[in-house]
Amino acid sequence: MINRRSVIAGLAASPLLARTAQAGLAPLTLDAPVEINFYNYNLATAGLGADATRKMIREFMEANPKVKVNGIGANAAGFIGRVQADLAARRQVDLVQVIFADLDFAVHNLGAKALEDIVPSAEMAANFQGIAPNGLRLGMLNGKTYGLAYTFSTPVLFYNANIFRSAGLDPENPPRTWAAVKQAALAIKAKTGKTGLATGILGASAYDWLFQGVIRSNGGEIITRDRKHMAFAEAPSVEAVTMLRDLNDTGAMDNLDTVGGMDSMAAGDVGMYLNTSAVQGALVAGAKDKYELRATTMPRFGDKPVRPNNSGSALVILSNDPIRQRAAWELMKSLTSKRGYTIITSEIGYLPLRTDIVDDPAYLGD
Amino acid sequence: MTTDSIALPFPATRPATRIWPKGLAGHLVMVLLSALSLFPLYWMVISSLRPANAMFETSLWPATATLANYRYTLRAIPVAQMLGNTVVVSTCVTLIQLLTAILAAYAFTRWRFRGEKLAYSLVALTWLVPLQVVMIPNFLLVADTGLLDSLTALVIPHFASALAVMMMTQAMRAFPGELIDAARVDGSSDWGVLWRVIVPNLGPTLASLAILIFISTWNEYFWPLLLSRSPENTMIQIGIQMFMTAEGNQWGPLMAASTMASLPILALYVVLQRQVIQSFMRSGLR
Repeated sequence: MINRRSVIAGLAASPLLARTAQAGLAPLTLDAPVEINFYNYNLATAGLGADATRKMIREFMEANPKVKVNGIGANAAGFIGRVQADLAARRQVDLVQVIFADLDFAVHNLGAKALEDIVPSAEMAANFQGIAPNGLRLGMLNGKTYGLAYTFSTPVLFYNANIFRSAGLDPENPPRTWAAVKQAALAIKAKTGKTGLATGILGASAYDWLFQGVIRSNGGEIITRDRKHMAFAEAPSVEAVTMLRDLNDTGAMDNLDTVGGMDSMAAGDVGMYLNTSAVQGALVAGAKDKYELRATTMPRFGDKPVRPNNSGSALVILSNDPIRQRAAWELMKSLTSKRGYTIITSEIGYLPLRTDIVDDPAYLGD
Repeated sequence: MTTDSIALPFPATRPATRIWPKGLAGHLVMVLLSALSLFPLYWMVISSLRPANAMFETSLWPATATLANYRYTLRAIPVAQMLGNTVVVSTCVTLIQLLTAILAAYAFTRWRFRGEKLAYSLVALTWLVPLQVVMIPNFLLVADTGLLDSLTALVIPHFASALAVMMMTQAMRAFPGELIDAARVDGSSDWGVLWRVIVPNLGPTLASLAILIFISTWNEYFWPLLLSRSPENTMIQIGIQMFMTAEGNQWGPLMAASTMASLPILALYVVLQRQVIQSFMRSGLR
């Protein structure tokens, strides 16, 4: 029986593997042409996300002529299903863009590779320099880094300043707490007849991370930190859900699904809309020359600090072949480099996880 | 005093004068239903002409109509290639399914063989198996043959259709046996009987079936979604879906793409209106 170690030992003798610093690691350089498949849900869309992704892949291949990257688009909603189907069909799946909620599934069901097991620690540490530590933790599970945060967004309370003024509210002082949000929403409903508040929390297409942010902001948890016990039925979590129900029962919040809420907000029919910062582009397009769109932070519970969960995705290596792993890691480094995050932020609209590029004129500065 | 009875030329009780022309009520209902049917198409077209900041306005005509959504759509996805792919796949599937249906129907109609009814029942039963059930096995088969991300893969699993076989079988069973017997007396083989006697006389059925298969393939979504890997090798329905993203739906371009995708089918309806209606009636509004 051939085990993985003996296969890698055999491969290590190959001239293709120039230098291997540690047993089990991917080779440090690529001496022969290699082709990898990169599964990405932005590529399955039309517009800026796909254009920017193709641009990053093109730039990577120009800088790494030995690596050919096949960008494979898969719809975000059925992304994991597509990857599973291709794995079942014995297709090479090397690098995948996985939403954070699917990271656990990718590790335990798709064979995601921990970077610590395939990349020399010094090289990994050098690449991680400059990336926000909290961003790095997003890709960690059981003490190992399986994913590198790629796209990243955070909850934002968008509001329509024109509706605020019509309702006698001050757009310079948007509500900061859930109690204030309720008051403002009821005032909007009473004085303008428009929807006070809509969110991406409820409905068929609800965002779990947004809901978790509300629960956590009240000191609750969905699942305990050690991931062994469910905690959504404990008092702080129940209080948070009770607050949401009260918003619904009093008419402060309309029970719209995510897309319905977004479209209503873009149409100028909603006073406040809580969702990911990634939808800003769609809302700005709807608001142009129609109303003043503003944004503030996610509301908190009284004096408790707000603890928003972020949304977004990580890059995960699934390849078993050391050469392909090295090629995938090189692509991963390029996509999460200063240049990569500059394109992601300026052309797709996600937040940069290398915060030092924000003021750097060579990247996002000016 | 006597009174002569007068013979009235008309019955004493005349029916009330008809205020509405005969059939007007029925026509009004049909006009109303037609308007209801056409309105979504109209809304699709005018939405494709609205700028992004006017997308959710409810006016029946946009204050500022623009072709920007069409320009953006043509730039964002390879519309012409996707439409071309869709035409090729739909045409191939239609022709191949007609061929397999004709051959199978002839066998079921003219030949008596052991297990004939069982074979027909099995074919009929496959009609009840939803695509989702056979999707993964078919996908694995296509992947094993190396045909992923190709138009061939979109056609091959649709070589035969239970609906087509059943419809053709019914049509051939109703075909006059005397004509076939006469052809036999003249020395025609099975092949000759099928192509020179039966098929030329089944024009309406074949036309109806062809239209049904073509439209059904044109609207196919799941199979191309599973098989396609690149916009250049997929069908227009997948292209339309590409404007729906987690960062918000791009309704203007989506409506522009939908309008362009609908045009060939709309043209088909206009040209073959009678056959289209007959095809849906024959197949029981499938």
